[in-house]
Amino acid sequence: MTAKQKRGLFIASFILPTLVLYCIFTLYPIVKALYISLFDWSGSSENMDFVGLANFREMYADPIIYKSISNDYFLIFWKVIGIMIMAIFFAVALTRFKMRGANFYRVVFFFPNVLSIVVIAVLWRFIYNPSLGFLNGFLSFILNRKVEIPWLGDSQYSLWALLPPAIWSGIGFFMILMIAAIKSIPAALYESAEMDGARQWKQFTNITLPLIWEQVKVSVVLIVITSLNGSFAIVSVMTEGGPDNSTQVLGYYLYQMGFKQYHMGYASSIGVLILVLSLITTVILQRLMKREVVEVS
Amino acid sequence: MNKKKLSFLSLVVLLILTIGLTGCGGSNKSTEPEKSSPSASTPGSSPSGTEDSGPVIAGDFEVQYCVGGYGDAWQKSMLAQFKAKYPDVNIKESAGPKINDQMKPRWIQGDPPDLIFIDCAGGLDVLQAIKDNQLMDLTEWFKTAQNTDGELISDSLIAPPQSYDGKTYAIPYVFGSWGTFYDQALFKKNSWEVPTDFDSFLAVSDKIKASGMTPYIHTGVHMGYFLGGFLFPGIVSANGDDPSIMQDMAAMKPGIFKSEPVMKALQQVVTMRDKGFIDKAAVALNHTDSQIQFVQHKDAFIPNGLWVENEMNKDTPAGFEFGVIPSITQASGGKYIANPYTTPVAVAQKAKNPEAAKAFIQFMFTKKSAIEWAELTGALLNVKVDLNGTKASGLSMSASKYYSSPDLVVLPAVTFNADLQKEMENATLALSDGKITPEQWVERVDKASEKARGKS
Repeated sequence: MTAKQKRGLFIASFILPTLVLYCIFTLYPIVKALYISLFDWSGSSENMDFVGLANFREMYADPIIYKSISNDYFLIFWKVIGIMIMAIFFAVALTRFKMRGANFYRVVFFFPNVLSIVVIAVLWRFIYNPSLGFLNGFLSFILNRKVEIPWLGDSQYSLWALLPPAIWSGIGFFMILMIAAIKSIPAALYESAEMDGARQWKQFTNITLPLIWEQVKVSVVLIVITSLNGSFAIVSVMTEGGPDNSTQVLGYYLYQMGFKQYHMGYASSIGVLILVLSLITTVILQRLMKREVVEVS
Repeated sequence: MNKKKLSFLSLVVLLILTIGLTGCGGSNKSTEPEKSSPSASTPGSSPSGTEDSGPVIAGDFEVQYCVGGYGDAWQKSMLAQFKAKYPDVNIKESAGPKINDQMKPRWIQGDPPDLIFIDCAGGLDVLQAIKDNQLMDLTEWFKTAQNTDGELISDSLIAPPQSYDGKTYAIPYVFGSWGTFYDQALFKKNSWEVPTDFDSFLAVSDKIKASGMTPYIHTGVHMGYFLGGFLFPGIVSANGDDPSIMQDMAAMKPGIFKSEPVMKALQQVVTMRDKGFIDKAAVALNHTDSQIQFVQHKDAFIPNGLWVENEMNKDTPAGFEFGVIPSITQASGGKYIANPYTTPVAVAQKAKNPEAAKAFIQFMFTKKSAIEWAELTGALLNVKVDLNGTKASGLSMSASKYYSSPDLVVLPAVTFNADLQKEMENATLALSDGKITPEQWVERVDKASEKARGKS
């Protein structure tokens, strides 16, 4: 065996197991979903009728699909804004300012990440309960009159109501990322800035933000990708897509179609749509963020 | 960048190749003829299989049942008794809380058990299963099938099986009922009259509202409760007490949702809504949350099923006395409409031992097993029997008395197409909350029914 072959074997011994696992657990399900999306299948019998692209045509004419896509991107947009602003704010507050009990706050903010998203959703469902919940109770106390707003039941508020738990559950993780990034910035930069008379805000915009921009980029991509699949749990526990599909998202609609309404073929085509949207969104996002980096640096 | 492009391209090529290869595998549809199991011996069995000494019941016999709210004590006892009667039968129990999910691959592969109790989440959807040829057509057999006491099973049932294009595939074994629930103690305390029709419901609701309590709450997220306990009885009341409209609706007869009885019932919802009798909070609540509000006396009435008393056992304050009214939608002097809720048992189309499965059905639909069911689960088996002195819940027993009353119309237990059901629930929620008009409800539901009809 030549040295080159040995090297090849060595590399293969690292790559092969991962490749095999990737094929079994990622590639195969994707291909299988593509395959099933070409059939009319209930998901519980052996009868599969080949219908070609009929499921995709049906999807094209289905208003709930458009509603779901719009809701998904609504949640993504506000989640990115909310999580990133809060995570950067807390990270700066806990590192740059000499705050007492910074470690305690770090644990407090990270705490929702330890909890299952289902627990968080149930908790917020209680908070939103129109008659017995904390939020209406608090508002009644402040306004000195009985407030009974059905936060999750009125399509005017329902989608907005999903945002606080979604953002709250994400802040901690990204705050830790930002803290790590800020801590890696050389202190000398801040010291010289201070000597030049730059105030905190100037330091933040000219030093902190440009130097953590790579981490911000990664975080935004992570939030977007996890959101396209991850709104499922919150929607499932808090509203089941209702009222009247006002909080419907693609992930939950897929579940409803596949497992509650026995259209596994249609559900698979929704799965394919989610995959395509994830890819497109990630590519667009990478492009947009790249341009930003060039401008900053 | 080029490397990136290259790796992306190779991924796409790999995907396309794999699709092609998988596609070559052909459809999963099995065209193999059914193999008869050598272990299932049915010599000399008559088509009806009714005589006690007729068919020889032997061989492997597999039963699928879910261990849910009713537990498994009754099934275990019945199967043991069945084994004692037919010692040559080899019973295999495929059971557990998650059995529906565990057995799904077997149904998909065309290797189902012989008998299935269709219960719990994830269980077969009866309409879909019939469409998929998964359930055995029991029409002819059921006409003459007798239980082990020699009575016609069809005569002994409280709720008859649902007819699918005139055929019988599944026989209801659990019997429950939708209705409007209230607290008898509270009504006595406030001297509120228990409503007997829609007008008296509106009258007492005025009084309830004046007392500061909201008259009516529904289970917003799960509107099926409101459909079962209010809207469907309302439609039948408006149809001159003729329940055949329910079957027409389930069969998605063209134009049925535009008919006058449907419109009249929707108008009743609007009346309740506009008088402010429906709790505004309901839209946001699931069944558990709204039931909690109900037992905590935030609301006076709730549409629900007979299981609610058991389900809320731990959360019900002392002194609360569950009462049920079959329907509140009828005109003054009109008949009560009872809308039953059933859970069926069925034989798999590809059962390897269908004779044993049928024999077990004959075995389980007796008065004796109905009493055993009531004793072990507190609920009702779908068999007419006197339950005085048994451990069935008081609410179940009082409700079961309604079913022998001549002033009562019992609706057929019908299953709706899942898409249509969902659209009816969504539209009804929107209607009850003032988001749409009855005309818009009709338009939406009619459209969904047309679409579902096109698919079936």
